[in-house]
Amino acid sequence: MTRLHAEGVTLGYDDRPIVTGLDVQIPDGRVTAIVGANACGKSTLLRGLARLLRPRDGAVYLDGKAMTGLSTHEVAKTLGLLPQTPLAPDGITVADLVARGRYPHQGWFRRWTGDDDDAVTRALDATGTSDLVNRPIRQLSGGQRQRVWVAMALAQDTDLLLLDEPTTYLDINHQVELLRLLRKLNAESGKTIVVVLHDLNLACRFCDHVIAMADGAIVAEGAPTAVITAELVEKVFGLACVVVPDPVAGTPMVVPS
Amino acid sequence: MKTSTAPRPTTSAFRVIRRRRNTRALVVTCSLTLAVGALFVLTMMVGSFQLTAGEVIASVLHLREDPSVDFVVQGLRLPTAASALAVGLALGAAGTIFQQLLRNPLASPDFVGINSGAGLAAITGIVLLQAGGLAVSGLALAGAVVAALLMYVLAWRDGVAGYRFILIGIGATLFFDGLIGYMLTRAQLSDARQAMHWLTGSVGQADAAELRLLLGAVVVLLPVALVLQRQLRALELGDDAARALGIRTELSRAGLLATAVVLTALAVAVAGPIVFVALIAGPIANRLLGPATGGIVPAALVGAALLLVADLVAVHLLPTPLPTGVVTGAVGAPYLLWLLATTNRQGAGG
Repeated sequence: MTRLHAEGVTLGYDDRPIVTGLDVQIPDGRVTAIVGANACGKSTLLRGLARLLRPRDGAVYLDGKAMTGLSTHEVAKTLGLLPQTPLAPDGITVADLVARGRYPHQGWFRRWTGDDDDAVTRALDATGTSDLVNRPIRQLSGGQRQRVWVAMALAQDTDLLLLDEPTTYLDINHQVELLRLLRKLNAESGKTIVVVLHDLNLACRFCDHVIAMADGAIVAEGAPTAVITAELVEKVFGLACVVVPDPVAGTPMVVPS
Repeated sequence: MKTSTAPRPTTSAFRVIRRRRNTRALVVTCSLTLAVGALFVLTMMVGSFQLTAGEVIASVLHLREDPSVDFVVQGLRLPTAASALAVGLALGAAGTIFQQLLRNPLASPDFVGINSGAGLAAITGIVLLQAGGLAVSGLALAGAVVAALLMYVLAWRDGVAGYRFILIGIGATLFFDGLIGYMLTRAQLSDARQAMHWLTGSVGQADAAELRLLLGAVVVLLPVALVLQRQLRALELGDDAARALGIRTELSRAGLLATAVVLTALAVAVAGPIVFVALIAGPIANRLLGPATGGIVPAALVGAALLLVADLVAVHLLPTPLPTGVVTGAVGAPYLLWLLATTNRQGAGG
């Protein structure tokens, strides 16, 4: 059993189940991508894994314990999440925003300590945002802003980090930059990272493990080279294509035919 | 290694920023407390019977027995000053909680129907039941709670989307105001006069029992708000981000809303719907503290200072004494126009 896994989990909104009876294991210490067509339930699964959605059935387990039975404050010390569209309060500075990532480590009356300072500093350094500390978020470029949000999630200092489509509004350069950052975090601290991605080629290039979803079910999972085939892409995205090795890294690359 | 030297300079950079901000927050809060204290004493010094600060303080704290001074201070001026203080604190805190919770500078209780709901219930009590004192407070509280629940049900599906909450709030306000107008046409002349005066909002009309209730609420709820400040700062980042940070969003939001609604309702019950204080206290506090700091206690202090000044102006500086609400309205309306103009331009209001 891995630290984060789900057993027979059913997730959905209102009366509409989107993911039904799903089992999944998130490999420890690896970078995992969840991919699939629009509305296939990949963000729903991520939200379920991050306890933002309560399962109708089944359970998500963190370190062997059902997450619904754990205090959300305690979970937040182990499991971090960067939502798809977090909101920045008007005029907030980078320093203030990243510092808010420390909330799980503060109690009702526990004050800010040197540990908090260190964690924020590490997060700023790791994401290359130390020079921006005094800047208001609104003045930053999309790529810088996304790195600041990642810094906030890093300041939370969790072993597991989940990111919901962190590359969506970024250009190709910033997408690659962000994924390289996630790789680096995984390599340096052994963090388990799960990321919902749209771009299959980037997922293959930067992730160790791919979970491909269609219609709320897992179609295939495993190492990109083993999983991503022309048949799978046809099945998951309905796209006829050829899969060739990436000329730089040799990972699977999807080329529409 | 390249990275081994990197943490040092940024450690100090972030620490320096944080220390500077903490110092600024402390200085601003202390200065505001002093200013509010000074204004509180000042409102009791001026009038047809001038007193010195020493006389006022001695009388309030029962340090000296002087029947004529005690009569003026404790009998006449202290209730007004205390209600200006308490109403200001309550409105300032409630306003900034609403604005941060709804992520909109327009979302003060004046504009989302809470004041009007409280007003409608209170006026109904005055006109139909000839109610006074605590009964009016109770009705205003019930009206505010009903209005808040109504807003929650109508506007809060899947969180607050842009201006929907404000638009529904304005609709609710107009609806309640219409009903208030109807109540007034049904009223006896003397009741209508009392109701109209109440509706303009004045700190001088406080009833002793109502005032005690509000003071009690302020003493209990301001510390509660202070404890919930951390939750509020997380909720500002959106529900998903707040939950990821380990905040129980529904519970925290309910607690914050309840605190703000009770403070607003009791303030409205004591002084009538005094407009704009809740709207401008938070933004002024943010100007003093730095952007997006959203301190509830500094906002409450700004609210108290504003209301004490408004009362001084309304009663002493103008040729004829006016209700406090007229002065806050005269100051607040231009601010509202400015806010509407600038948020539209930046597209940041929604």
